[in-house]
Amino acid sequence: MTNTTLEAPQTSTAHSSTHLSFPRVVRSEWIKLRTLRSTQWSFAVFIVLTVGFGLLMAATLDISGGPAVDAETQKSLTVMVATLGVNFTQLVAAVLGVLIISGEYTTGMIRSTFAAVPTRLPALFAKALVLAVATFVVSLVSIILTALVTAPILAGQGVEGQLLDGEVMLALVGGAGYLTLIALLAFGFGAILRNSAGGIASVLGLILVVPTVLAIFAGITQAVWAQNLSAFLPSTAGAPMFAVGDGSAAGGPPAGAIDPDVITLDSTQGFLVLLGWVVVMLIAAAALTKRRDA
Amino acid sequence: MIEIQGLTKRYGAKTAVDNITATIRPGLVTGFLGPNGAGKSTTMRTIIGLDRPDSGSVTVNGKRYAEHHNPMHEVGALLDAKAIHTGRTAYNHLLAMAATHGIGKARVHEVIAMTGLESVAKKRVGGFSLGMGQRLGIAAALLGDPQTLILDEPVNGLDPEGVMWVRKLTRHLASQGRTIFLSSHLMSEMAQTADHLIVLGRGRIIADAPVGEILALATGTAVRVRTPQATDLANRLASSDVTVTSVEGDLLTIAGLASAQIGEAAAQAGIVLHELTPLAASLEDAYLELTQDDVEYHSEVSR
Repeated sequence: MTNTTLEAPQTSTAHSSTHLSFPRVVRSEWIKLRTLRSTQWSFAVFIVLTVGFGLLMAATLDISGGPAVDAETQKSLTVMVATLGVNFTQLVAAVLGVLIISGEYTTGMIRSTFAAVPTRLPALFAKALVLAVATFVVSLVSIILTALVTAPILAGQGVEGQLLDGEVMLALVGGAGYLTLIALLAFGFGAILRNSAGGIASVLGLILVVPTVLAIFAGITQAVWAQNLSAFLPSTAGAPMFAVGDGSAAGGPPAGAIDPDVITLDSTQGFLVLLGWVVVMLIAAAALTKRRDA
Repeated sequence: MIEIQGLTKRYGAKTAVDNITATIRPGLVTGFLGPNGAGKSTTMRTIIGLDRPDSGSVTVNGKRYAEHHNPMHEVGALLDAKAIHTGRTAYNHLLAMAATHGIGKARVHEVIAMTGLESVAKKRVGGFSLGMGQRLGIAAALLGDPQTLILDEPVNGLDPEGVMWVRKLTRHLASQGRTIFLSSHLMSEMAQTADHLIVLGRGRIIADAPVGEILALATGTAVRVRTPQATDLANRLASSDVTVTSVEGDLLTIAGLASAQIGEAAAQAGIVLHELTPLAASLEDAYLELTQDDVEYHSEVSR
């Protein structure tokens, strides 16, 4: 803080090459993402939780005494072990998704961001894109890593991984896709509420509390509408994305085949419903971001 | 060049800026002066599009800020030293800001050197003092080598060396033909930095004129006279337009006459003068005079 010099900003700098563009805003958002400790920690926790829960489940699974498991169950178990951590990392993804935008509002950084990108929406979408890509890559790496390190343990139980099976691969990618969409959903909440505590409470309420409340209500009253409503909630709809078979093995909702009126979404339908949530939230976030004073 | 046309901005029921029109010209340091809550920051925020005007328009070099292809080269703004994520280092903050426009690392290092932040560039902003935050804000504003520089209370929290530096920097940039617009409530600072002043009170423009003119407009000039025949001189000059105040036995302050008139009057009467000094009114006095009916928050203790 001692020597301040009085130099003119270099007028010789070539301004023809410096201007705003979407790829550059994406690059800026990438720098922002990787230079915060909170994101570094979040992604480290992602890997630890995914691998940790996978190893825990694989190590405690004991089916060697029973009859030999069929191929379908083997696939289901493989996916279940590799994606067990998703139930926990979704919380990290949700918190990260909120914080990455609400943190800019609470610190005032958003004013610097919008001064540099005055049309605003490129900054919002670049941030969402960077969040999505980073979450997807880290999730996929940690899920595949879990599948690889648990494969020898499962093989000892007579479960052959079949990691190259199309159905298994799709479910593993689906786990990463699910986490990415949850992060984006949370990002939408953060951008709309502009507040960390409110954003985190809302998104966790939606993905954890509301399904539980509905499940209890449906359990007591047997109300079909409550079960059907639950099927369209983000976390319920997204669960089949990382499961093989009917999802019952993965701890998803019990197959509603007993009552034909109860809706059960398959992985594609569930993906589309969750994607719909994300799109609606992001459109609302974009409209508000454009309109409000920063 | 910043052109403000009929700008009005309300927050709920409160009108922060009330139909102001002004032009901030290139090649000059234009000071923006007003008591707290007068609407200075709001006006500056609308220039770079952070706040949307309720009516009126603001353009920078003929276009709305958001319509520029290279906004950071058009306008560099320090509106709030705290508009920085506290968890990031100063260097990374500047790097991220620069990246939006494809500005290279060399320029980031340049503005760090220019603002004297080398020793703390790799530290996280959360631990910065207000003065360091201001320097970082100014560094960010300079990244795009802007044609127009907007600084809201830039010397707030700066040490004397920093105040001097901001003064020199803004004067230097203005001499290159850039448009410099800075606000302050430190009127004495403005007197030394600005060429032109826009005085704001309760959202309205009270004065828009060169600094010298505002001083002359707001206060009559006074002259300090030291003479062994103080009473004689006082009696001689006394009239309804002239106020003579006795400071000490041989020292008078005379308002309402120019020093030349006093000197001539003394010579005619054969009165010996030991001192004859025109007193420039401080901008502080001028400012208080201009805004005393327009301050939103009067302090209890009399000034």
